[in-house]
Amino acid sequence: MKRTADVTGEVTTLDKRVASLDDATQALAETRDFGKPAKLRRVLEALRRVLLQSGGAAAVQARAQTLEEAGVFQGTDWASPEILLPALVGPGLHAGEADTVVMEATSELRMLAVARGDFAHPTMSAEDARQFLSQVLAMNLELLFTPPSEAERVRQGRTAQLIRDLFRHLADEIGYDTVLDKLVDEIWRVLRQRPIQVEQMRSLITRISIYRGDPDVDLGSASGQGIDRLITSLFGTTEASRDDPGVDVFRSRLEAMDTGGVQSEATGFARAMHDTGLVSPYHAELLRYLVNESDYLLGEALGLSETGRNCLLRYRDLVHRLIEEAVHPSTAQCVYGLALLLDRGILHEPPVVPALWRQLALELAPAARERLLLVFGDQPSPEARLTAGALSMLGQPLGVGQGDNPTCQSARALSMWAYNDPDYLLQMVVWAARDDEIIMHFEGQPISSRESEGGVATTLPMDLDPVSLLVVPHLDRIYAEMGRRCAGRPGDPHRWVNPEFHGWWAFRGFRINVDVQTGNLIDLDEFLRQFHASYHPAYNGGQPLIHPQPAGVAVTDSAARYVGWHAITILRAAPDPQDVMRVYFFNPNNDSGQDWGDGVVVSTAGNGERFGEASLPFDQFASRLYIFHADPLEHGRSEEVPAEDIERIVGYIERSWGADRLPAGMLQASRNPEA
Amino acid sequence: MPQAEPATKNPDKGYVALLGWSLNAVEALDRFDRRYVVVAPDWAEEYCFEHDIPYVLWNFERLNDRSMEIAETLKREGVDVAIPLFEETVEWAGAINSVLLDNPRLFGQAMLLRDKALMKRRAQLGGIRVGIFEEAHDRGDVIRFLKRVNQTLLKLDGDPNDPIHLKAFDKAGSLGHRVIRTPDEIDSIPDDEFPVLMESHLDGWEFAVEAWIHQGKIKFLNISEYVRLGYSVFVPATPELERFRPQITAQIEKLIKTFDIEFGFVHPEYFVTSDGEMYFGEVAYRPPGFKVFELMERAYGFNAYQALALAFDPKTTEEEIEAFFPREVVDASGVAGCFGVYPRRRVVSDLQIPEDTEDDDYYESHDLSAPLEETVTKRTAFGTHWGLLYFFGDDPYRMREVLKKQEELDFYV
Repeated sequence: MKRTADVTGEVTTLDKRVASLDDATQALAETRDFGKPAKLRRVLEALRRVLLQSGGAAAVQARAQTLEEAGVFQGTDWASPEILLPALVGPGLHAGEADTVVMEATSELRMLAVARGDFAHPTMSAEDARQFLSQVLAMNLELLFTPPSEAERVRQGRTAQLIRDLFRHLADEIGYDTVLDKLVDEIWRVLRQRPIQVEQMRSLITRISIYRGDPDVDLGSASGQGIDRLITSLFGTTEASRDDPGVDVFRSRLEAMDTGGVQSEATGFARAMHDTGLVSPYHAELLRYLVNESDYLLGEALGLSETGRNCLLRYRDLVHRLIEEAVHPSTAQCVYGLALLLDRGILHEPPVVPALWRQLALELAPAARERLLLVFGDQPSPEARLTAGALSMLGQPLGVGQGDNPTCQSARALSMWAYNDPDYLLQMVVWAARDDEIIMHFEGQPISSRESEGGVATTLPMDLDPVSLLVVPHLDRIYAEMGRRCAGRPGDPHRWVNPEFHGWWAFRGFRINVDVQTGNLIDLDEFLRQFHASYHPAYNGGQPLIHPQPAGVAVTDSAARYVGWHAITILRAAPDPQDVMRVYFFNPNNDSGQDWGDGVVVSTAGNGERFGEASLPFDQFASRLYIFHADPLEHGRSEEVPAEDIERIVGYIERSWGADRLPAGMLQASRNPEA
Repeated sequence: MPQAEPATKNPDKGYVALLGWSLNAVEALDRFDRRYVVVAPDWAEEYCFEHDIPYVLWNFERLNDRSMEIAETLKREGVDVAIPLFEETVEWAGAINSVLLDNPRLFGQAMLLRDKALMKRRAQLGGIRVGIFEEAHDRGDVIRFLKRVNQTLLKLDGDPNDPIHLKAFDKAGSLGHRVIRTPDEIDSIPDDEFPVLMESHLDGWEFAVEAWIHQGKIKFLNISEYVRLGYSVFVPATPELERFRPQITAQIEKLIKTFDIEFGFVHPEYFVTSDGEMYFGEVAYRPPGFKVFELMERAYGFNAYQALALAFDPKTTEEEIEAFFPREVVDASGVAGCFGVYPRRRVVSDLQIPEDTEDDDYYESHDLSAPLEETVTKRTAFGTHWGLLYFFGDDPYRMREVLKKQEELDFYV
């Protein structure tokens, strides 16, 4: 028998596994397309076994071209590297399915071979590949720094370590300097949307600062533009906290300072906070100190506008109590919420102040307390956590995120109430936190969250802010129950559910351009005209939108393929600084900046967006819209919308999610009787 | 991309018809120099059309008066020979080849190879040693046979019985294979499994042979060693079994003569007893199950389906077939084995390759899929495995150990 060992002498495990991979790849390559699926399994298993070995990633990288040409990626998205999205690499690598992880990892190593110029790829340039990998690394930087979490280990076993080895290899080859630049850009981009939950960003920034302090790490030149601002917004923001001395030392320094010094501390923290949306734990300590010192300096430390300062002074007892109760170094982030809450002037709405006093005295139901303790620990108390969460949500209504849960409707409702109906939100919090039950009414019939079985989410969501953590499970069940009560009615249940669920101000008029039975597009022309007549200032009499309105969009991926239906809020339609009419909307997703393909790229900054808003040009937005509400008594001038505008939008639809939903003679389809 | 197009076909070589659908066979012939056509039921039509695979529709039911139709269709098409891929198409190949090759005896030969009872009688007539066997038409026959066999073995009342084996007449491999030890086990046999062939248990070492035959001569003879029947097999066998190669070759030659086989491929099973005596189990005139062809390709590097086409094709020359095959055992680059996984627990939720297996140098891959149902159906007969694990390494003894070890591991938890 021919033994490989006779030829090479010492045969390592890696050598053996690579030989087996080469054999499997060869068999795949020799097979015509139809036979490939049967031979792929062995290649993937061989790849995984090679990648598990030290030096495995380099071995796969060296074979990237052979693997691709053998057809490893054939019939999958990975076959077209030019359409791959850096943002999807993380989920791919964390998939429970080992084959998916292996494909994803192999695709990264192929990108690396392309970026290094070892593989002249027909559809991907070396520069694009490098850019792609930099973004992938930036978005998954935690893979470079942290060991697998317990959850990852349970789900992925030793694959969790495999992807870390892969990332170290990628970073070694690509270089950390570009990673850092991308990472910092990415952090800034997300922070510009002012999310309530910034834990992930904080931990990333913390890790980078540790990494930068490591003398063994050479970051190259000119890297990390803007990283200093991020790091100093958390650590060493001001003179007294420069050396990250710990809260106690900082406090004693404050106590020893003259007014000028404290003033400069206050403005320093305020500037950093409003710049980045991040709050330093020292900032919280400063506020706790200032409560007993000076309302003027408190206003300085919060960076308040005239309105905010006015609210602070008018309701100073309440604000003081809120700070004493909720603001702690470990809940520092709520300082930003408090500042914006004051600036919004909502304390001038009669029910809000007493509702906040109630919040301060609230006693939690055991279930609510347990949930808060489970997720946030006991420092500070669950009551303080919840109040801090309420401050954040009231100050940053567009910062609500749904986490990794299919609960976009509930997150959207919370955001709407915080934005539009703050005392109602506080009422919801009381019901959920104190009573562990929310009762809403649907067409006169009460629906209890306690009696309703099963929501949209199959497991209790954990990765949420304190308010969402308590309220979302109730809302989710009620929302699902409302849907169940519409079972059997013709058409889409959102017609009835949306107004009942969100509030009287959600318009009762309802438009949908998808036939629920067949999934085909219907009434497209009329749908789009009515949307213009209701929302476009040029066709609705120049009326700005008064209340935020629920709407549904067909989300598409970067190749413009349909991904799923998604709940969003339309906030306003207005011309941007370039005079392009845009729709500004809220997306309960954690990151609204998404590429929906065919040139439709959702913008989150730079086009007149306020913090937390996403926006698209009016026509592009209309092209992804499938449900909207309108006031049936407001007519607008739908007939004046030029045919070419409609055609252009229909073009966007046909090239994306509508591609396989067009029945013959679509534009002549019967009119919706609800019109 | 390599192989985006089918391989160039040599018009001077034969034109073969594959009876039955096997993706691996089609794929192998697709990149071979012989023209081929797939003869398969209508469900394969769309796939063949889509992938540009030559295809003739035929539903293989029982042979009937329409059977000539397919033979004539293939003859008109210019096909030289039909190759059976499954047990069920062996008699069809016989019928078709008797027309294509103008040799009526081929049909009778196929019928012998298709019926296990006839097969054993013929073997016996040819002077091949077989165990005791009999047909059973009902449970009463089985009880009588079990008693008689154990009487013959001079067992006393109360001694544990030697088991007997029950097999369907015309099914492949371990399908419908049962082992019966006590009369109460007989009650569990469903009515529709009768008639069956009953055989005495041979306490030997069971192995299988794959032999390619050209002009009545063995061109390549592989011995597949079972570690445990129905679970694991590897290629080539250990020296311990390979030392019987001369006797085994002599047995196969006897078989070829007895069954009057001129060309093609046989896959017989034998027992060798401790004193070196060979007992014939059964023989099939089609590729073996359990991916043995794939194992041979892994070990020797030649494609066993292409070898099949060579051995069947009447236009194949002596030199061509000699050049195609490597030398047995010495030319193997290693030992390839596989293990069929059956869930061992009654309730399973996850597929999990044990680290012991995964870390083993010999382990290569698996084709198991995640469980669809949580409750595992109780096995009655040998049943079907849930997928295979593949191994490759240098040492056949180590391979045997590795495969043996898998029997104690859980892959579904």
